[in-house]
Amino acid sequence: MRFHVIAAALLWAAFVESRKIRGISSSYKRFYRERKSFLCIDGSKMIPFEQVNDDYCDCADGSDEPGTSACPRGRFYCTNLGFRPHYIPSSRVNDGICDCCDASDEYNSHVRCQNTCWNLGQKERAYVEGQMKTLDEGLRLKQQLIEEGVLLWREKQAQLRELQRAAEDLQIKLEEHRRRKHEADRLKEQTLKALKAGDKGLRHQNSTVSHLFQLLDSNKDGSISVDEIKAKVVLVHDEKRVLSEDEALTLLGGGHQMDLSTFQNTLWDVLIQGHDYKIKDAHSAPGGLMSEDPHLKAADRAAEWEATDLKKVEEAYETVNMEISDLQRKLGIDYGTDWEYLFLNGQCYKLKVYEYMYTLCPFNMVSQKSSAGVEVSLGGGCGQDHQRTTTVRWCTRTENRAGREVLAPLQSL
Amino acid sequence: MLAGMGPVLLVWLAVCLGGTWAVDKGNFKTCEQSAFCKRQRAIKPGESPYRALLETMELTNTRLTLQLINDNNKVRLLLELYRLQGNITRVKINELKPLKPRYEVPDVLIREPPTEPLSLLSQDENGVVLSLGPESQRVIVSARPFRLDIVEGRDVLMSLNSRGLLGFEHLRMRKDTQADPETDNKEGADPANQDENTKEEEEKVEDGMWEETFKSHTDSKPNGPSAVSLDFSLPGVEHVYGIPEHADTLKLKTTDSGDPYRLYNLDVFQYELYNPMALYGAVPVMLAHNAQRTTGIFWLNAAETWVDISSNTAGKTVFGKMLDYVQGSSETPQTDVRWISESGIIDVFLMLGPTPREVFSQYASLTGTQAFPPLASLGYHQCRWNYNDQEDVRSVDAGFDEHDIPYDFIWLDIEHTDGKRYFTWDPHKFASPKEMLQGLMDKKRKMVAIVDPHIKIDTNYKIHNEISSRGFYVKNKDGGDYEGWCWPGSAGYPDFTRPDMRAWWASQFAYDQYEGAMENLYTWNDMNEPSVFNGPEVTMHKDALHGAWEHRDVHNLYGIYVHMATAQGLIERSGGVERPFVLTRAFFAGSQRYGAVWTGDNAAEWDHLKISIPMCLSLSLVGISFCGADVGGFFKSPSTELLVRWYQTGAYQPFFRAHAHLDTPRREPWLFGPENTALIREAVRQRYTFLPYWYQLFYLAYHTGEPVMRPLWVEYPQDPATFALDDEFLLGRDLLVHPVTEEGARGVTAYLPGKDEVWFDIHTFQKHNGGQNLYIPVTMSSIPVFQRGGSIIPRKLRVRRSSACMEDDPYTLYVALNNQRTAEGELYIDDGHTFNYEKKEFIHRRFSFSNNVLSSVNLEPGAQFTTKSWVERIIILGASNPSTITLRTADGVNQLEFDFDASMSVLTIRKPGMNAGADWSVSLQ
Repeated sequence: MRFHVIAAALLWAAFVESRKIRGISSSYKRFYRERKSFLCIDGSKMIPFEQVNDDYCDCADGSDEPGTSACPRGRFYCTNLGFRPHYIPSSRVNDGICDCCDASDEYNSHVRCQNTCWNLGQKERAYVEGQMKTLDEGLRLKQQLIEEGVLLWREKQAQLRELQRAAEDLQIKLEEHRRRKHEADRLKEQTLKALKAGDKGLRHQNSTVSHLFQLLDSNKDGSISVDEIKAKVVLVHDEKRVLSEDEALTLLGGGHQMDLSTFQNTLWDVLIQGHDYKIKDAHSAPGGLMSEDPHLKAADRAAEWEATDLKKVEEAYETVNMEISDLQRKLGIDYGTDWEYLFLNGQCYKLKVYEYMYTLCPFNMVSQKSSAGVEVSLGGGCGQDHQRTTTVRWCTRTENRAGREVLAPLQSL
Repeated sequence: MLAGMGPVLLVWLAVCLGGTWAVDKGNFKTCEQSAFCKRQRAIKPGESPYRALLETMELTNTRLTLQLINDNNKVRLLLELYRLQGNITRVKINELKPLKPRYEVPDVLIREPPTEPLSLLSQDENGVVLSLGPESQRVIVSARPFRLDIVEGRDVLMSLNSRGLLGFEHLRMRKDTQADPETDNKEGADPANQDENTKEEEEKVEDGMWEETFKSHTDSKPNGPSAVSLDFSLPGVEHVYGIPEHADTLKLKTTDSGDPYRLYNLDVFQYELYNPMALYGAVPVMLAHNAQRTTGIFWLNAAETWVDISSNTAGKTVFGKMLDYVQGSSETPQTDVRWISESGIIDVFLMLGPTPREVFSQYASLTGTQAFPPLASLGYHQCRWNYNDQEDVRSVDAGFDEHDIPYDFIWLDIEHTDGKRYFTWDPHKFASPKEMLQGLMDKKRKMVAIVDPHIKIDTNYKIHNEISSRGFYVKNKDGGDYEGWCWPGSAGYPDFTRPDMRAWWASQFAYDQYEGAMENLYTWNDMNEPSVFNGPEVTMHKDALHGAWEHRDVHNLYGIYVHMATAQGLIERSGGVERPFVLTRAFFAGSQRYGAVWTGDNAAEWDHLKISIPMCLSLSLVGISFCGADVGGFFKSPSTELLVRWYQTGAYQPFFRAHAHLDTPRREPWLFGPENTALIREAVRQRYTFLPYWYQLFYLAYHTGEPVMRPLWVEYPQDPATFALDDEFLLGRDLLVHPVTEEGARGVTAYLPGKDEVWFDIHTFQKHNGGQNLYIPVTMSSIPVFQRGGSIIPRKLRVRRSSACMEDDPYTLYVALNNQRTAEGELYIDDGHTFNYEKKEFIHRRFSFSNNVLSSVNLEPGAQFTTKSWVERIIILGASNPSTITLRTADGVNQLEFDFDASMSVLTIRKPGMNAGADWSVSLQ
């Protein structure tokens, strides 16, 4: 017996529930429990319950007509079983256009709407699944990009550190080479000075003076004549011309003969200075003479060696420093929290929109080129008198890296 | 032209264009620069050389003919005078023996107007008196100088050549290049001609008679001078209206101190307000009004025309006028007008009223009435130059749904075409037009695509090749195809004056010709003045040839012919079933028969919003009811306040379309924040609730020629306070609209006409007495609109996505009671889009309320139509509280529920439920 009472109560409740009020969601059912009258949900008016959904708008808030188009500000609930429920404005009820996928909005119109909810639901579920997959795939790809980015970042960091270390080494080397070059230069200078001043030993000087004297004294008579001068001595600046009598005489100090001792004090000096005259066929008479000096030769070679070495080191240092600043600039850009956009650096993407070809090189430049060939920068680069900016919308997809393209038209502003 | 250069360049152009605002007046002629206007305006009053040769008079039952002679040169003219049915007198003056035929305007009159008998009352050597029918109207023809007076009783209604300004330049041989004396002698064989020749030789050859140069353009004028002019005096008249299109006040101004009003269809870039310069269209019809009578003058001439207006009271102060009155001054107010046209003949229709309604009907009997538009075209139109591509169209369409704003048409400007080749689609941006149109059709919406008359000269373009091979292009003076510069670059201009050309053009709208078109695609004719960028005054050279006629003769007809052929095309593509919708920029008398007109390229300025009212009122007075201005303003960018106010104004003007220049930022209604979206939504929704009333008014306009949008004086012709009002207007008889057109307005002062009238605010139902200036405080949401007491207006309050979605919706009847507690109104229903109304497939009912009974009776017992629409609500304004309300229909008698708001005296009858097409009555006890 008790069981029967409960069953009857349940049945009654089910009956009340089943008297369906069109156009409301289950959460609103409590407002429409059948009594004698209906209170507009905004509380503004009490109307007989028969006037709910009777196709006449009684409530200012439209709550008495959830299932008809009678109220200007009303809304209709599409249950859309199998798909997503949603509200449409009451004005779309029975307007001849299918809005709810369950066709519930066109219950009294000339159009025959199909219930498409199940299909839509299928599609949506497939879509959501696809989205989830895509998301997973995307996250995986992102993780990959992050890992790549991190690796790349680390690699670059390591590269930077290495370069910095190399720069430091080079710096030390540079100091050393500068010192050594300086030393070599100084040695060379000293040698030359000594050679000039002659305080490197008379024997050596004498032999040199006599050697030169013997060279000029073609007939070996112990004195140099005008003809001998003319045969062996020429002007530094005009080697081809044979000296005149007067010039030769002048060199001989006005006399026609010159002996070794006079030579050592006069003409030798002239020739060793090598400003005006030199020995015929000698490379550079005094220099040549001096360069033939083994000490000087060694000093000179050492100085040259050091200079070349220094230059090499300087160049290396400069290159390394440039690489460092370039790397630092690149590392200074925001590549996302996890460096997931790092891979974009150095890439360029092209997009054709009608007659325009857009080129986007992330972190670098954007340009628009018309089919007529006019190219306009839309941002990036530098030195533009009027800077433009470009808003780029990124959509991420799961395509492999080669397929990753600019996905939205670039809107220039 | 601007469009191809890409977005970057456009930004630059926008900046540049911003600095060069307002029309360059120097591009357009003044009267002084127009040789014939200068010559004719130089004629001094009181020295008319014209004399009527009474002995040549011939009077048949329907026509009087009479020769006029110019005593200076002995050239004879032929005067024809007709009495037309419906109180119209037609006066035609042509040369008796013109050297070659002079142009007479065809295709504008809907038929050869039927005549009525004329009878001779008296005749002596000074003149003749003829009777003009039964109303004691007479026409007096005076012989020396020639003059016509139309008299009713003791009142002179109108006089012609009373100031002696009749001028008729006869066609002549060119003398300066034809000095062969023998030729002269041969001509001299005829003594009459000899007489003329000797006189002619005395005439000076003035500059501009045989050639005229303006800026870099030379008009070769092979026919020499050919102008005509005539003056009209209007005794007792201080207010004249009409002769659109001018950006000026409703009441026309006197022109003594400046240029005459000019009628010459021109594409004026950034036109200036409050001046008499010519604009895109020309309707040579002027209305004259005083408290006793309304008359009209229809000057049927399609050549360049100037209209001078002068008034003997124009300069008088109010005090001066009072003094005249007190002293009983003999001088009655008078307005004098003078019409000057460059060629053709004088063919003038004197529409003698006497009421405004009769003048409308008289003019309609000559040129026809407003085409009855498809109902949807009375909804809201969303346009801009340009919606970029199909995706843009789709997203704008979706935007309206998202923001719950109704609209019926979305428009595509020139950029939708493949390189400005009309009848084609851009292959990238509009690759699948049918798909796009189907998408709109699924929402019961429609589209308009532009088709301009200039045709790109391109041998790969089918339309060009066909026009060219058929020889349909207008020719230049040397006989080759005329070429001008317009949107596509070098372009030809089809000769729309040719019936065979128009028939071919119409055939191009067939679904198998116009690729991508579907039945929800309609047409817009722009640039049909015609606009020629490199032509004189941005239009066609006057010496271009349309067959035997010069462009000079037909200029103002080009636009109406384009419109005519296009509308015909849309009719034919449906096998004559569907009503066309075609918008035109250029127009002429009669253009009302083919569709809608808009006021061209206005600007986003408050003054342009204000001028939209007199500009459309002036058009309405001369038959063109379907008028609108670009909502928001075409050039420049409106402030949000201006945009909202413009929507509020446009919602109550006949053609309701938002439009914007390519260079302006986007301005779809939802781009200005939720508050403004709501304001615009509300304005558009108000429009849709009134669609039944708009439709009924257009049916009336189609049926009777009465304008939809009316100046107040039309309904209150005896109230001088209404005569110059042009900041408010009436829709039909029953709605008075005073839009807010002032920036930052806190209130408006509306004149509520009619001493015995009451007016109800349509929003608050507040009742106001007529015959007063009422100050109305306003907020941004206010649109001051009043319903006349004594009227019944049917509305549909269930505003949906588009008008077609509302077809079966129920009506709410707004019954506004007058002081006698009566009211009347009408309801017209048909299918909304076919010509089946011509087969009497419609419902036309009259509602009347008197003795506490509201009833609906059939106005057209012969008509048949069924509707699903019913009456869901009756709201009676100015009512008292009844105890019971009873509905009687064929099905029986019911008691109705109701609600009475005592504070506003508003009675709302709940859900009477009868079908809108049924007979019924509702009694209040």
